[in-house]
Amino acid sequence: MGKLRFLAALWLAKLSIPALKITRHQGTDFPGVLALKLCPDLLRYMGRPKTIIAVTGTNGKTTVSNVLADILAADGHNVMGNRAGANIISGISTAYIRACNPFGKIKKYDIAILEVDERSSPRVYPYVKPDYVVITNLFQDSIMRNAHPGYIAELLSRYVPEGAKMVLNADELISGSVCPKNPRVYFGIGPMETDVTDCVNLLNDMRICPKCNGTLKYEYRRYHHVGKFVCADCGFHSPDPDYYAEQLDFAHGTMQVRENGTDYTYPLITDSIFNAYNLITVVSILRQLGMPHEKIARYMKQTSIPASRHYEEQVGDYYLIQQMSKENNSMAGSRAFDYISNRPGDKELLFMMNSLSDTGAWSENTAWLFDTDFEFLRRDNIKRIIFTGPRINDYALRALMAGISPDRIVCVEDENDAPEAFSFIPGTDIYLLYGTDSLTQAARVYDKIKTLALSHSGKTEG
Amino acid sequence: MRIEVLFPEICNLFGDLANIRYLKLCLPDAEIIETSLKSRPKFLDTPMDLVYMGSTTERGLELVVEALSPVKDELVQRIDEGQLFLVTGNTMDVFGKTMESDHGLSLTGLGLFDTDAKYYMLKRHNSMFLGKFEDIEIVGFKSLFGMTHGAPQGEGLFLTVRGVGRNENEKEEGFRRNYFFATYLIGPLLVMNPPFTRYLLRRMGAPETLAFSETIEEAYRRRLAEFHSDSFDPIYH
Repeated sequence: MGKLRFLAALWLAKLSIPALKITRHQGTDFPGVLALKLCPDLLRYMGRPKTIIAVTGTNGKTTVSNVLADILAADGHNVMGNRAGANIISGISTAYIRACNPFGKIKKYDIAILEVDERSSPRVYPYVKPDYVVITNLFQDSIMRNAHPGYIAELLSRYVPEGAKMVLNADELISGSVCPKNPRVYFGIGPMETDVTDCVNLLNDMRICPKCNGTLKYEYRRYHHVGKFVCADCGFHSPDPDYYAEQLDFAHGTMQVRENGTDYTYPLITDSIFNAYNLITVVSILRQLGMPHEKIARYMKQTSIPASRHYEEQVGDYYLIQQMSKENNSMAGSRAFDYISNRPGDKELLFMMNSLSDTGAWSENTAWLFDTDFEFLRRDNIKRIIFTGPRINDYALRALMAGISPDRIVCVEDENDAPEAFSFIPGTDIYLLYGTDSLTQAARVYDKIKTLALSHSGKTEG
Repeated sequence: MRIEVLFPEICNLFGDLANIRYLKLCLPDAEIIETSLKSRPKFLDTPMDLVYMGSTTERGLELVVEALSPVKDELVQRIDEGQLFLVTGNTMDVFGKTMESDHGLSLTGLGLFDTDAKYYMLKRHNSMFLGKFEDIEIVGFKSLFGMTHGAPQGEGLFLTVRGVGRNENEKEEGFRRNYFFATYLIGPLLVMNPPFTRYLLRRMGAPETLAFSETIEEAYRRRLAEFHSDSFDPIYH
């Protein structure tokens, strides 16, 4: 009966695919949603490609999944995945429905790269049995959904299948401690000039030793609880990475990756440390799959970090930058603020990373703002910060508490009016920070910023 | 002014410590004393103007119970003597009888309040809160894996106007015993509630001067209007 229900659900879902194509909705998770309604354990009956890699974690899973899929495809693999859809059960089911034949067998693809929302673990891993589970990191995410990283680590340890090989971050030991009985390899990045020893961030989720609750001493700390530590009381320490990136040279775009005592040169196709972590994660997985270093390096040179997270362009006399910074995510905000404030030049920022869709029947839970390092925005090169939306006073208050001068704070109720609050001084870069909740509004506002930038440059669109 | 923050190395979730950062901005000369798990709480030996403890993890609940159980009798004595406490988020449950979860957590609390907390680890409760403390209107957020049940009436800190109290069936929110205040509300409670913060400052014997008063009052006024509006549903679905 179960198998019959599965086939009925699968066929109906497959039939919906051309219908969605005709109506230009092919990017949605509708096939998965439909099939799961008819057969909630749909994935139980699905076939599988030879290799399944699940990529999860708080930040970086989309980048890692996409770069990994690009490289494997370039290497001649037939890669299935949920890139076009969501990373929850409906998106993953849709990927399987699209990839399988009418009987649920997967024959066209030899490898699956599945981006899995960590909170979806209880619904995914009972059926999808990955060969490798990659955890980029675990940080504070949405308070409302993910509670705290220790909770997510417990959830993953509870649901990830026993045999899966873990690819883990040696520098971030909340994720690094997941599934202690599973086989594992670690990646990490060696000391950098910008490292500190004491935490300068508000979020610091590993302040005591996970073994004895003793005091952790950091040999070096990158940000938050990321770094290399040893417990002053019991001697417990960060694991030694199997894939160890060092000599990161952002100016020349190179890094060294050490494996078993031998160094290999890699391109560093980013200017940010968090994307450097994503790249060393990709290297680690590909090495686990047996791809030679030289080949990975060659492919990496030809790839790029997906543009949806960060986009910049010269418009007239102004440099415009769109930077994604997920709302309700204090870690993402802190990393974005640190990154922006460290970039050269003066800048003005428009915040659209607030939960604009919460307006109306609900209200934004602003607790996350108070774990976000607005303090980075105190730096002199941040000339103006524009807040918008119904919570402008809360954002302004948070900025004031961070020590940001009131004369740099501008509050504009309606986001459509916010672009006019930029000063448009040539040489001052213009940043739009947006979240996943405000994609449509942010696109509209960005268009207006562009129009104003051209107008201030004495040009018109065309 | 001396403010003791208990166990900030684990009781630091959900922006709760912003309450202390805000008090420090209101009281620049205040001494903030951070007491770690392995230290004896200072308020047991010297009265503090305020003792604060914020939200923690499930493992953190266990560690807080371990840290406070040996000094429970002294803690009760300080409460009875009128020591001012503010406890926010799930650490409130440490002061009840038990804490249990469907993922295997089973803890015996300090038992100051006759109540049992039950957590459902795949079912997180999120809501907004509108309530009263004496004649002061309170706004806040809740984000919890579960709530506590069984407490007798008359020990609440706030009275619920919209949202949920100690649980879905109780109008009373949090616990109050003398000047021991505990609430499930998380995050920047004092930043969001200028009248309550002024009350607390008064109770501490401090000037009632609020930092960034204009902005904080405006944010409070707007949120209050929103939480009172008919279209507003305090429970997140």
